[in-house]
Amino acid sequence: MVGARQTPVGAAEPPPPDGVLDVEQVGKTYPGGTRALREVSLRLRAGQVHGLIGANGAGKSTLIRIVAGAERPSSGRLRWHGEPVGWRTPADAQAAGVAVVHQQSPVAPALTVLENVYLGARAGGLWRARERQADFQALCASIDFRIDPYATVATLSIGDRQMVSILRALAQRPRLILLDEPTASITPAERAGVLGAARRLAATGVAVLFVSHFLNEVSEICDVISVLRDGALVDAFDAPDMTHERMVAGIVGDRLRDVEAAKPVHSAGAAVLEARGLRSARMAEPVDLTVRRGEIVGLAGLLGSGRTSLLNAIFGVDRRIAGDVLVDGRRVPCSPAAAVKAGVALVPEDRLAQGLVADWPIWRNISMADLPGLSRRFWLLNPARERALAQRACRELGVVAPSIDTPVKDLSGGNAQKVVFAKWIYKTQHLLLLDEPTAGVDVGGKADLIKLIRALAARGLGVLVVLSEFEELLSVADRVVVMNRGAITGDLAAGQTTVAGLTAAAGGLT
Amino acid sequence: MSAADPIDAAPTVSARIRPVLAGLRPQRAGVVYALILLVAVLVITTAAKGQPPYLSSVNVSNILSQAAPDAILAVFMTIVLISGNFDLSVASVAALAAALALKTIDSIGTAPAVLLALAVGAVAGTINALLVQKIGVNAFIVTLGSMTAVRGVVLIALGGESVTAQSRSLVTLDNTLLRVPPPVALAAGVLLLVLAVLRVRRITDATAPPLDGFFLALVAAAVLTLVVPVAAPAMLTQPLPVWLMLWVTVGVSAALRFLVPGRNLYAVGSNAQAARLSGINVDRYKMAPFVLTGLASAGVGLLYAGRFNSVDPNGLTGTELIVIAAAILGGTSLFGGAGHVGKSVLGTIVLFTLSNGFNVINLGANYQYVVQGVVLVAASAVYTVAARSRRRAGPPADAGRATAPRVPGGEPLSPAVSGS
Repeated sequence: MVGARQTPVGAAEPPPPDGVLDVEQVGKTYPGGTRALREVSLRLRAGQVHGLIGANGAGKSTLIRIVAGAERPSSGRLRWHGEPVGWRTPADAQAAGVAVVHQQSPVAPALTVLENVYLGARAGGLWRARERQADFQALCASIDFRIDPYATVATLSIGDRQMVSILRALAQRPRLILLDEPTASITPAERAGVLGAARRLAATGVAVLFVSHFLNEVSEICDVISVLRDGALVDAFDAPDMTHERMVAGIVGDRLRDVEAAKPVHSAGAAVLEARGLRSARMAEPVDLTVRRGEIVGLAGLLGSGRTSLLNAIFGVDRRIAGDVLVDGRRVPCSPAAAVKAGVALVPEDRLAQGLVADWPIWRNISMADLPGLSRRFWLLNPARERALAQRACRELGVVAPSIDTPVKDLSGGNAQKVVFAKWIYKTQHLLLLDEPTAGVDVGGKADLIKLIRALAARGLGVLVVLSEFEELLSVADRVVVMNRGAITGDLAAGQTTVAGLTAAAGGLT
Repeated sequence: MSAADPIDAAPTVSARIRPVLAGLRPQRAGVVYALILLVAVLVITTAAKGQPPYLSSVNVSNILSQAAPDAILAVFMTIVLISGNFDLSVASVAALAAALALKTIDSIGTAPAVLLALAVGAVAGTINALLVQKIGVNAFIVTLGSMTAVRGVVLIALGGESVTAQSRSLVTLDNTLLRVPPPVALAAGVLLLVLAVLRVRRITDATAPPLDGFFLALVAAAVLTLVVPVAAPAMLTQPLPVWLMLWVTVGVSAALRFLVPGRNLYAVGSNAQAARLSGINVDRYKMAPFVLTGLASAGVGLLYAGRFNSVDPNGLTGTELIVIAAAILGGTSLFGGAGHVGKSVLGTIVLFTLSNGFNVINLGANYQYVVQGVVLVAASAVYTVAARSRRRAGPPADAGRATAPRVPGGEPLSPAVSGS
């Protein structure tokens, strides 16, 4: 337990619980017709930590942008201390007393902690060192955090940088502070500091809106929780009524259930991938790994355990220092082009940066990986064939889009990911490498993708998949290979292990 | 369920017309409007001043033949820019090729001298390519360096003096007049028109890509090819460089649009990482444009050498900036992945029309740089503002989705693992 737990809503607290910000029936429809928010109402009270949870694409970010003044609601309104407000820019919201801490806050790495905290602060143009220093110590004391104000930010850990962002928000003396996934990229030890800071902030009478994917954190520090799904507020409850089941049910709805239940058992065939003593420039240890035809092998590990590096080494993205990759028994030279030729596909982690050309329509993205195969003789493009393939792929994978001429940047995460899959599944013959295929995909899209991965394996592809969510990994994989600090430390049958077991193994506890 | 899905529905005519109309927007066709506006102003001004008509065949041919070498460079500069790189060395390489050709042509003969010049251009391009792609130095810096160093080589080779050749073969190359018989031109126009009509007939065919700006260019080309032989038959006689410009433009833009390497070039320029992970040989597509540009620069250097049959050590200085300005006027992105060679050629013609216009209406030549600079920045501003307002219109990446995902329910999921 982090920090002193405040008594829940309505009970006597040092500052009386009044509404700092009321969100009233706020809806947001984008020009494309996408409804990101539907009549959402919440009340953010002084002295409370208000948790906001929901799947990706549920509308959390849109709501935060509206509260922070970065976007205007299409319907409904905001009330600030009871007064209706119409913020047009983030500066308006900031002037009123709203501060935002983003997942990866833009801090100026070359400046000191102190300079970062007061970056952009207006004080008559003067840098009053002594006052700043005293103010800084007061801020630090208020969240019980110690740091050298003259340390350069570039030398700090990511967790400490996150604390600097929080201090920077505090320096604005906000009445409401928005914490948008503040713990997403930091270590567990540092999380305690951030969570404790959130609690202490609330104790000083600030209203805190805490957005996180980590349900344990939410249940640890929040007084009130609101759940968004598909843009609508589907559940809201106070701390005493909070259970994990209720949170998960609110987030997920009932979509993933049938996927979880129906897990086919199929027998694996001959080895389709053999990595022997494989080591790339980015890998710490040589790795041996075999994937069989029709088998889905999950790679489990913590951030930085070398899972992505292993996929990249197999695909030939990183230079190979040692070892061999055999696909279907044949040695594959080290280059993505050679791997593609050998019947291997990689669905990368960051689909817009690595998997797609954002401005291009769906059909051109799908044909990108097999352009020579889809063309006539003499390199002559055959758009009719490319478009027919895209048409078929969108139908079979259930891509929701106005047409195959829609630019992929306008698609939701799940649909964009289906387009990345569509690039490969019609051409790849042997091995599919998937790096976090469900990241940033909403729950329904996840279910589709998991079904698709299973269907592909059932058709004889070998699949090697990295998934950080161990529940998902166990639900999709036949076998789980555990990585720790660049080495393979375990090889488990998915049916015989649990999330707890995997967590322990990935953490090096085996 | 398929019939209700927009993905499967046959596209409506209006949905298919929209991209064509989008091709008419200022940020897409801006260079065309700029040229029309400029010519209109000059026509009216000369008429008001009682000067001979501005759009005479002689004057238009004059502008075209002046613009042709730079326009050819602009075509290749556009290729480099699409690939996501930058080449400042084109003018220096052209000057070097011109100097070498003129220096050697009398001793070793025309063909060897021309081959030598072209080879030097290709080598210069290859060096740029290797430094940028294999060593990883920024293209701006590499080509700034090669621009300076190659100019130094020119100065050394010429000993600081201009060089002249006895041989007239390069002059012939530049001066040869080619005449296309009007019936041939008319036939070509009819052919283009037929292509355009065939394309329109497939407007609601979902397997055909939607019509876009390229279709407009096709129609414009058809109209011009039909009108010129009738209205201004004298225009069908042009010096070789003008025809070269036309062929290079048509050939390269067709290759970029209809061939696999063209599509891959845009992919590499738009997102090199995604292209690489799709199995495209990114190095090849990043390096080939430099080599081609080096070769083309040498070719343009030969045309330049033929124009005066002499070259001085500082010849062509500043041309690289005109060429880059032309590409930017044509809407080519400096960030790669976007650009059309035809529009870059129009950009070159705009710049040369400006300087020609200043001469014709007797405004001091000193003003022309101010106007060129203003036009360039204004054009970029239009493109930038237009791109930004389009970006704003779309939903952000994390927008919640309103439509429920459609699980491919009872349908068999049939990705053919054995290949399609």
